[in-house]
Amino acid sequence: MPKKFLDPVVDQIYTLNLGPQHPSTHGVLRVLLDLDGEFIVRADPVIGYGHRGHEKMGENRLYKQFLPNTSRMDYLSGLLYNHGFVLAVEKLAGIEVPPRAQYIRVICSELNRISSHLLWFGTYVMDLGGFTPFLYAFDDREQVLDTLDHVTGSRLTYSYCRFGGVIQDIDSEFIGMARAFVSRLRSRWKDYHNLVTRNIIFIKRTKGVGVITPELARQYGVTGPNLRACGIPFDVRKMEPYEVYDRFDFEIPVGSSGDAYDRYMVRIEEMEQSCRIIEQALDQLPKGPFLAEKVPHRIKPPKGEVYFAFESARGLTAYYLVSDGSQYPYRCHIRVPSLGNLHVIEDVFRNTLVADAISILGSIDLVIPEIDR
Amino acid sequence: MAKTDDILRELRAMLPEDAVTVDDDYRTGAAFAARVPLDLLRDAAERCSALGFYLETITGLDFQDTFELVYHFNVYEPKSRIALRVLCGHDETPPTVRDILRAAEWFEREVHEFFGIRFADNPDLRRLLLPEDADYYPLRKTFGVVNAYRKREEIYA
Amino acid sequence: MEIKRRIEPPEPVIRFALLDDVLNLARANSLWPMTFGLACCAIEMMAAGASRFDLDRFGSGVFRPSPRQSDLMIVAGTISRKMGPAIQMLWDQMPNPKWCIAMGNCAISGGPFEYEGQYAIVPGAHLIIPVDITIPGCPPRPEALIQGILALQDKITKGEKRNIIRRFHRMEGKN
Repeated sequence: MPKKFLDPVVDQIYTLNLGPQHPSTHGVLRVLLDLDGEFIVRADPVIGYGHRGHEKMGENRLYKQFLPNTSRMDYLSGLLYNHGFVLAVEKLAGIEVPPRAQYIRVICSELNRISSHLLWFGTYVMDLGGFTPFLYAFDDREQVLDTLDHVTGSRLTYSYCRFGGVIQDIDSEFIGMARAFVSRLRSRWKDYHNLVTRNIIFIKRTKGVGVITPELARQYGVTGPNLRACGIPFDVRKMEPYEVYDRFDFEIPVGSSGDAYDRYMVRIEEMEQSCRIIEQALDQLPKGPFLAEKVPHRIKPPKGEVYFAFESARGLTAYYLVSDGSQYPYRCHIRVPSLGNLHVIEDVFRNTLVADAISILGSIDLVIPEIDR
Repeated sequence: MAKTDDILRELRAMLPEDAVTVDDDYRTGAAFAARVPLDLLRDAAERCSALGFYLETITGLDFQDTFELVYHFNVYEPKSRIALRVLCGHDETPPTVRDILRAAEWFEREVHEFFGIRFADNPDLRRLLLPEDADYYPLRKTFGVVNAYRKREEIYA
Repeated sequence: MEIKRRIEPPEPVIRFALLDDVLNLARANSLWPMTFGLACCAIEMMAAGASRFDLDRFGSGVFRPSPRQSDLMIVAGTISRKMGPAIQMLWDQMPNPKWCIAMGNCAISGGPFEYEGQYAIVPGAHLIIPVDITIPGCPPRPEALIQGILALQDKITKGEKRNIIRRFHRMEGKN
């Protein structure tokens, strides 16, 4: 039991409702906390406030019509989810993708990953109380969004990938903007490290807070940067390489202790590795078509199933598509990383303070509408 | 790779002859798929968990003649995902695996609220995503707008 | 029995038109929004509050998480059936005068998620709370949100044509 400094007047467990509307902008999450003073005794997440029926819609939409849905599940990695879905259907239907389209998709996906991590960085430090890094991070993020807007046409929810490639080719202006962004982000690391990483308040609020052990991560199915912060180097881009990821030279940052500080450092390092991938991809970009020919508009994959996993900004995401030979999927199930990442807080929140709970929730990087699908 | 071979050996020893189909070029995303009867599910899950696998997801499938549950397990090695397929009739109750791997709690709640499959020995089958007082099972093919309701062998022949 | 959602204050006996105008001007230029991001549109709302598309210069930069301290509810995102009663409760908790902006296609009419067999969403915020301004887009750009807030400011100061202070031209059409 936690040490009590004053004798309580009444010894009772108090139930507090955290959410579903609260300023930490993860989405609509509600956690029922049983508190003993300021310490949490039990945490019970209640989700479903953003349930929109994506899986039922998947059965009522043509394969092509499901593309907008994919972007809106995890809206911060919309292009990554798009990319994963078209890869899954291409695997199911056996469609060959031209190499230029593969490189373009990888470049845009990595830009999207950087923008998602930048937003996480800004909102996490804002949750802890510091407002300035939020503005810096969003400023950098606006440059990424302009770059992606130039070629895809939208800022947040993209439908850029198609079965067999992309809808529009990238031009030299896009390449120039991407290179300029990479060099600008690299010049910002010094600012971010001075402002946040070496900040004593930030260190005290994140070191040793919310430790996820490897065994706990295995029990709950935690993936992504949270798992890599525990010391397990599991990244789908290296374990089950898809597209052209096996042609690039990049590392997987791994933490050691599994606390919030390690999760933060893993994500900062991942942004740097994504910059490396983008540079190498831009150097290796081949010429050629950007969309495979002779892909039917209403695609009818052969009977069977595919379970395609890819690395989104939050962890291992997978599409499980079952096709019955018609133009509508028979079952479209999406495995989202935030479900396991949220479930682990039932264990991690025990015997922590409420303020630490906010820090842990922010460091795990949840997007609730992807859990609710 | 090594752990997948280990679990393949153990499952082959435990299950009947043609229950395991190996997918050599990893086309369907799983190294092999094993058809597990209901009473051997907990055994198989325990062996997987003992070798270090984690539960990735539980998917429910609704066919005219049966329900099917697909358990995807994965381990921190390259290309090591496995699938356990469990057939369960429309009125049967499969056993729960929530005490073996904690992730199964929420997956089973989700499968229950979307399909209506009850899991034995699981006292906590509250609604996860739907409102608490929902009395419909949305992903059943008898609910709402449905394009096709097929038998299992039409797809997996 | 219809529950009246918008309770208008009783008409005062003596009205000062100039005082009303001044009060409306003050209210319009200091709308404090409530952070009510449900889904994707919330990110564009945050981007509108960040440094590039600064909302603070219009007086609306202070996002209050508590409904008791805000007078504008921006419904940004899809309203699911589970969330509907919570939105009504939050709307009731806001003190008068209060306004509502429905941001994004989902809050206007269900957006891309409205189809014949949809069971999980409320197709439109106007079904549960009274909406003043609608901003279409999926998601609307932050500039669109700013234009929506400016339109609301015009509506509060009662007149599309009385935009002398802001000096931007709107197309003639119905109100």
